[in-house]
Amino acid sequence: MMDQCLVVHIPDKQPHDLHHQPTESVFASAIDPKHANQIVRRLNQIAPLEDLRHVKRIQKKVLEGGQIELLVILCLAHEGNNQLDNMPPLLQELISSHQLSPFITKVCKYAATSKEEWQEQCKFWPTSYHPRTYNIDGITGFSEEDSQSVLKFMQSAVEMATSDGMVVNAAVIVDPSAKQIISSACDQIFSWNTCKDNNCYRKPELSSSHPISSSRCNPHEPLHSNSSSNQLKQSYTDVACLYPRQWTEQQSHSQSSYYWHPLRHAAIVAIESSAARDRYLFSSEGNSEDRYLELDSDNSSWTSSPAKRQKTVCANGEDDDRLNAHSQTSDQPLARPYLCTGYDIYLVWEPCAMCAMALVHQRIRRIFYAFPNPNAGALGSVHRLQGEKSLNHHYAVFRVLLPEEALHKCHT
Amino acid sequence: MSSPETLTFMELAIQQAKLALDVLEVPVGCVIVEDGKVIASGRNRTTQTRNATRHAEMEAVDVLLGQWQKHGLSMSEVAEKFSNCSLYVTCEPCIMCASALSILGIKEVFYGCSNDKFGGCGSILSLHLSNTTPLNNEVSPGKCFKCTGGIMASEAVLLFRTFYEQGNPNVTDMVISHGLRICATVAFWAG
Repeated sequence: MMDQCLVVHIPDKQPHDLHHQPTESVFASAIDPKHANQIVRRLNQIAPLEDLRHVKRIQKKVLEGGQIELLVILCLAHEGNNQLDNMPPLLQELISSHQLSPFITKVCKYAATSKEEWQEQCKFWPTSYHPRTYNIDGITGFSEEDSQSVLKFMQSAVEMATSDGMVVNAAVIVDPSAKQIISSACDQIFSWNTCKDNNCYRKPELSSSHPISSSRCNPHEPLHSNSSSNQLKQSYTDVACLYPRQWTEQQSHSQSSYYWHPLRHAAIVAIESSAARDRYLFSSEGNSEDRYLELDSDNSSWTSSPAKRQKTVCANGEDDDRLNAHSQTSDQPLARPYLCTGYDIYLVWEPCAMCAMALVHQRIRRIFYAFPNPNAGALGSVHRLQGEKSLNHHYAVFRVLLPEEALHKCHT
Repeated sequence: MSSPETLTFMELAIQQAKLALDVLEVPVGCVIVEDGKVIASGRNRTTQTRNATRHAEMEAVDVLLGQWQKHGLSMSEVAEKFSNCSLYVTCEPCIMCASALSILGIKEVFYGCSNDKFGGCGSILSLHLSNTTPLNNEVSPGKCFKCTGGIMASEAVLLFRTFYEQGNPNVTDMVISHGLRICATVAFWAG
């Protein structure tokens, strides 16, 4: 399976948007080529095209007979405000002094993200195209080593998702620079802290999101002793992001369940856990380095001694007073990352809109998921948050192509 | 025009936002109302918790879930409860919160100012309409809810402005995460 690992980038836009790119109406006019420089310079002063920097101000057309015509954009033609009289006075002056005849035309609203898009855009009005210069690692492909690492973390997520004999979603937040797991969690819709199984004795606290302590124990369904693929090949109705309203169907109330929560999807819990870790590691100035080292050594064996790591990372749940006392001095031994900046998250299923937006808020750098979520997925299936330009943060999204059997052979 | 009752509840949400402002949190507050009574309130706690998902709505919802389970309500009973609740929040719920509210199946949302960068109730996405037909007769991913904006919007915006003018550099990025159109902040962030 290792050799077949394929990691596919899920782009910001759907390919078919190519021919339906959003446009904006502008006033344009033919100008005398002799005055072109002068007019464009003046326009850039009095009517800069702030949000249309990718659009060329001027275009050259070759008319029949080889005659050359220059067209220039004057300003935006806002909807319901497309009267020439509403133009700024300075612009009206320019128009009359050069005897221009403005007309309305369309330009593409957003800068092209691919050569194909750019070619389509230029059919309206020429734009400039700059192949993306910033690159989130992986968009242009993964090295063999990187894809092995991606697969390893995804497999640990799959393992968690199936560890109870039932299938839920699981999330693993990773610091890729150190190849270190920051936090991990399963869906905790039905039982957050306790269940009748004695393995789940933990008291309620924020940090209960380790693979073992968080493993979901549904009191309504007894744990199956064997995980035959028949049993696992159910319709995944317990995966929170796939069926976010499934919880409303639960009729009975179990006495043994201490607490349940319809919004505790795996990604939300993993974020919470990473925030608890952040508060703990950076709760006080003096000994943060020691704690970090301790944590680090535990992480090398995170799979074999989860309980120990759990204790180390999250022994100190909330300590806000100390957090507030923490001052921003320059000789801080360990740089405090801003939320999850630079971190990756591995999810077995494509997240719903709630989880996908939570990951925007928490500044996750890359999202890897194995299986699409046609019912509620927000990273390409139903919505595509990575392509919402207005958001202040954009992560890169990848699908790790795993065979569905991967869900059925972890725990046999 | 908003009813006096609506304004009263929004006033309470604004008070919550002011509490957030007092502790240097992005000033967003909310109350949840059932049968004309406030049953929970919440304010933004993203800075304090280092968890950018701890928006006012999430805080208030957690209060309710805790209360109702303490009273022994089952999941379906809690779902029934939420379908009778209205939320009053000073800023349009973001995509995350709007999605959460549709997962919970809240009845109605009233908000103050709109959220031009992250709004999930009309500005960017319209998750309150969530009329995507479920595939293959599957359970719908969320429930629709009624949504009314612009209630005491100027008061809500004023709080944001006050917050920004305090100029706390530690929380500048948090401002962004709530989608305020404050040019200086954007310049800081972009730089």
